[in-house]
Order: sequence, then C-alpha cells, then structure tokens
Amino acid sequence: MNKYDDKWEDRINALLDGELSDTDAEALKAEATDDRELAGAIVEAYQLQRAMDAVHVERAPASLRKRLRTIPRKHRAASGINLFQPRWAMALTAIPLAIIAVNLMQPDTPSADEIAKARQQLAIAFAYLDKAGSITGREIESTIAHTMADALRGSVNRTIKFSNEHTKEKEV
Amino acid sequence: MKRTIMTKLMTGLICALLSLPAIAQEDELKDLPGYVDFGDLSSLYGEPKIIINLGGTMLNFVSMMSSANSPETSELISKLKGVRVQIYSTDKNPDAARAQFNKVKGDLKSSGWEPIVQVNEEDQQVLIYMKMKDGNMEGMTVMVVDDEEAVFVNVIGQLNPAELGKVMDSLDVDVDLDLP
Repeated sequence: MNKYDDKWEDRINALLDGELSDTDAEALKAEATDDRELAGAIVEAYQLQRAMDAVHVERAPASLRKRLRTIPRKHRAASGINLFQPRWAMALTAIPLAIIAVNLMQPDTPSADEIAKARQQLAIAFAYLDKAGSITGREIESTIAHTMADALRGSVNRTIKFSNEHTKEKEV
Repeated sequence: MKRTIMTKLMTGLICALLSLPAIAQEDELKDLPGYVDFGDLSSLYGEPKIIINLGGTMLNFVSMMSSANSPETSELISKLKGVRVQIYSTDKNPDAARAQFNKVKGDLKSSGWEPIVQVNEEDQQVLIYMKMKDGNMEGMTVMVVDDEEAVFVNVIGQLNPAELGKVMDSLDVDVDLDLP
C-alpha cells in the first residue's frame, strides 16, 4: 500500500465515480502528471473499477430476495431497551452481583434495642436450660438417695441377719 | 415475547437476591451440625408462647456488649453459634407434645446425639442430649414436656452448663420460671 492510499483515496474514488467537480478533477490530474505514484494509484483504481464492472452478477431468485429483505426487519432493534443486546445483558448481570456485594460488605448492624432484646431472649433460654438442669438434678439426687438408702438398708438387714444367726449358733 | 419473559426472569432474580439476607439468616443455623428440627406444633397448640431464634451475628453483638461488664459472660456467649427456643402451652393436653418429644428423640439418636439425662415421670418428661465431635460440643438439646408446657431448646455451639448460673446473674435480666 503506497503512501497515497490514505491521502488521495477519497479524491480518487470521487474521480472514478464522477463525483469530483471539473476543477478538482483537473487539479488531481495535474498533480498526477508530476507525481508517478499518484498516477499509478489512479490507474490501479481505474483498472480495479473496470474489473469489478466486468464481473457478471447473477440476480437472486425473487423468493430469496424477499426472505433476505425480511432479515433486517426481524433483527431490527426493538424500540426502547433490548435485553438481548450484550451491553444490556452485562448491565443486568452486574445488578445481582452488586446486590450480593453490598449484602456481603455491609452486614446488618443491630440497634441497641435489638441487642438488649437478644440479651433478654438469651437469658430466657438460659433460664429454661437451668430449669431443665434443676429438674434432672433433683431426679438424679433422688435416684442416688434411693439407691444409697436401698444399699444401706440391704447392708443393715444383712448385718442384722448375720448377727442373729451368729447369736443362735452360740446358743446351740 | 422473549423480551417479556427475560424481563420477568430478571425481575424475579433481583427480588430473590434482595431477600437473600433473611433467607441466609435462617439457613445460617440450619446448616450447622448442632441444629435440631423440632417440627411445628402450632397447628395443635397455636403459636408458641415463646419463640427465640438467635443467630451467630446477634450473639456476637451480645457478647461484645457484655465484654466490659462481664468477660466471663462474653466468653461463654462467644462460643455459641445459635440459640433456639420454642415453648408451647400444652394446656393439660400434652399428648401431641409427647409424641413430638419422642419423634425428636428418635431423630437425635439416629443422628449421633448422645443422651445425657432423661427423666420419665408420669407427669413430666425431660431430656438432655448433646452432640460431640472430637471432644468438642457441637450442640445441646433440651426438651421438657408436662401438663403446662412443652419446651424445646437447641443450643448450637459450645456451652458449659455449669457456668450458666454465674452467667445468668451478669445478664441482669429478671427471668422467673415456676419450677414444678
């Protein structure tokens, strides 16, 4: 690609399309006379245009043309917001992420009243635990006391029985 | 059409996400190993007369607030991850509560809880279960059913019952429960 491609492209195209005014066309041709590269670029563009013109273009069947014409209408952006457009899809994806981030970064801080209420609730819970502990404690004490009493009673009975038998043996 | 469905889906998703904190707070306790499902007796006895659900976050705040006055209490509370209490008035009809008591007892047995104390009197049933792992307490469950009330307490985390008495004084809350 030569250095004139960018600089002269518009003017060359306009010249070939017949859109350049006569004055501008003459000016361009005059410049090309002194500049071989510019002249070469104009010739190349001219040859390319002719080659393109020479290409025979088959006309598509009417049914296909009709279908092709409907495509832009089907994909035309709906009025307002199209949620399927990538930018909107990205924006909608960002909203839940932002909500999650806010929730994670800003945990609910309870008020002094809520903490006082929680303290009271905790005391109630502990009171019920204590109550259950007292009931079971009494039951354990009672069971142990009965067991000990039974054990003592059995031991005493055995001692008395042994003592009686021993006394009888001595008498015999 | 597709746009309408997409809009509804996104709206639903955003609403669901906005309610996440409340759901998460409830699930915070359910996912812990010391959690116990006591079921719901409200269809039989009406709404519980006392219902308490304290999560780890709130307990941390209570622990922090107690640290200045009573480090001992603060220390005890800091080891708790959740405290749940459900108390129903059985109103001289404790049969349904007893059935639930036995159901929960079965669930506890089958899920690795250890019985600590059980009292089976004609007019009163008391049960204390603990869940231990590697020598650490993961939870404690206390159930009491009598003619007056059905009490279900679930403590999640570590708790030394022997320290309860000391800590209750420092909480400075007047709680008077009638002992039978």
